[in-house]
Amino acid sequence: MAMESARMRRVKKEILDCRNDKSSNISIDMIDDNPYHLKGTFFGPEETAYEGGRYDVDIVVPESYPFQPVKMKFITKVYHPNISSASGAICLDILKDAWSPVLTLKSTLISLQSLLCSPEPNDPQDAEVAKHYMTSRESFNETARYWAQIYAGAPGKGGGDASAAGKEKEAAGLSESSRAIALAGLSEEHVNKFVDMGFGFSKVVETLSRLNYRGDNAKNITNERVVEKLLE
Amino acid sequence: MADLTPLELHQMTQDLLHNSASDRPLISDSALLSVLREEYERGSGSFVQQIDFLSNIRGFTHIRRTRGDGDCFYRSLAFAWISRLLHSKNQTLDVAKAISLLDSTLPTLEAAGFEKMVYEDFHDVIVSIVRQIVVPEPSGATLSPALLLEAFQDAEVSNCIVVFLRFLTSATIKTDPDSYLPYLFDPETGDDISLTDFCNRHVEACGKEADNVQISALTRALKLNIEIAYLDGHSADGSVNFVPFQNLPESDMPNPPILLYRPGHYDILEKQP
Repeated sequence: MAMESARMRRVKKEILDCRNDKSSNISIDMIDDNPYHLKGTFFGPEETAYEGGRYDVDIVVPESYPFQPVKMKFITKVYHPNISSASGAICLDILKDAWSPVLTLKSTLISLQSLLCSPEPNDPQDAEVAKHYMTSRESFNETARYWAQIYAGAPGKGGGDASAAGKEKEAAGLSESSRAIALAGLSEEHVNKFVDMGFGFSKVVETLSRLNYRGDNAKNITNERVVEKLLE
Repeated sequence: MADLTPLELHQMTQDLLHNSASDRPLISDSALLSVLREEYERGSGSFVQQIDFLSNIRGFTHIRRTRGDGDCFYRSLAFAWISRLLHSKNQTLDVAKAISLLDSTLPTLEAAGFEKMVYEDFHDVIVSIVRQIVVPEPSGATLSPALLLEAFQDAEVSNCIVVFLRFLTSATIKTDPDSYLPYLFDPETGDDISLTDFCNRHVEACGKEADNVQISALTRALKLNIEIAYLDGHSADGSVNFVPFQNLPESDMPNPPILLYRPGHYDILEKQP
């Protein structure tokens, strides 16, 4: 059977199908004209912290596709319990043992989009982010929204000024340290308290992050414990 | 050795299968049943007794093994089915019927929500193999037993056929939920499971074992009779239980294909002259 490989036939069709489908708002493009290395793009779902953000996903189509799952990871940084905040690696069953050849690149990207709507903190990829999500939802959402603004180009808080100039103005409004505090999901007040005791700024941010010193959970952690960790 | 516990028996079977899982061809040439017997001689007496029953009482001579990769039921069934067409006395008619049956499954796949883009390649592969029994390939060859084996040992062709049968099984279950819902449970936890989850996770996903529900759905969709011989080491008198899955009157399909089941694995049993 001298045919084009199952992988080639499938991927070609899938790219074409996605191009012709304007309704899903999902795009798939080749990276360097390589049909097996692709970039998928979708928008953050409405009424979530990711709304308005544009998310790029790196897609590698393995040789045994569609019998084995595609490899996907976020290129755009995302603050989410099932996505590594450092590497973009994704914890999702269909990318592992629940894969089936019924799934396509598009339907898998749609599953990633719905993963943004419904995190599964009990099966986390990023344990620290999952802790944040479990203990103080409001503060978690605020951090996830901030990441969406900074990394995925989501419009800022006021919602009004989404232009590049507007965003720059907003980013410029924050000092570098305030930005680092917001990205870590911490509060300026908490960080300053320990910085004022004489500990280094980045050490404080790192330690408070690890202790999940956020929102209501901060009340459960004594100053002594924080200091003990800072001295380690 | 006859008094191994069920757990030990299961472990032994798993070990035997596992040791040869990855380097074994997807499907092998037939081997004498005595070869299988030898593998159990140092282990379980009750298995040996049952293998003797298969050869001495039921007249089976060979076993054709499939790789223990979780796709073994689908691969064994597909091979046994196509092989039967290949050896049919009414080849032209039977092949025509088989192709029109495969084509007639497409509306069922659509009704179950499968996208054409997703199933058409797999459908093309299985139809072209069946067609090749009577219509030569551009290169000039019609399907021979050797070419059939070669096709099933080619991962791509073999897996396309397995996946098509998985989709067909799933679509049969999804489009007739009343017939199957009462029998569904999660094979990993034993809990209740929804029809969609069962089909998505335990039928459509590659490498997931088939059980009675999948077997009865698929044989129904292919309008096939088969029997499964259960070689489980549990028989008091050394006999082997044969369970029929019947979708045609016996007279329309005498001597149905027989699959050999050992806990967690299916192979094909054969009688060769």
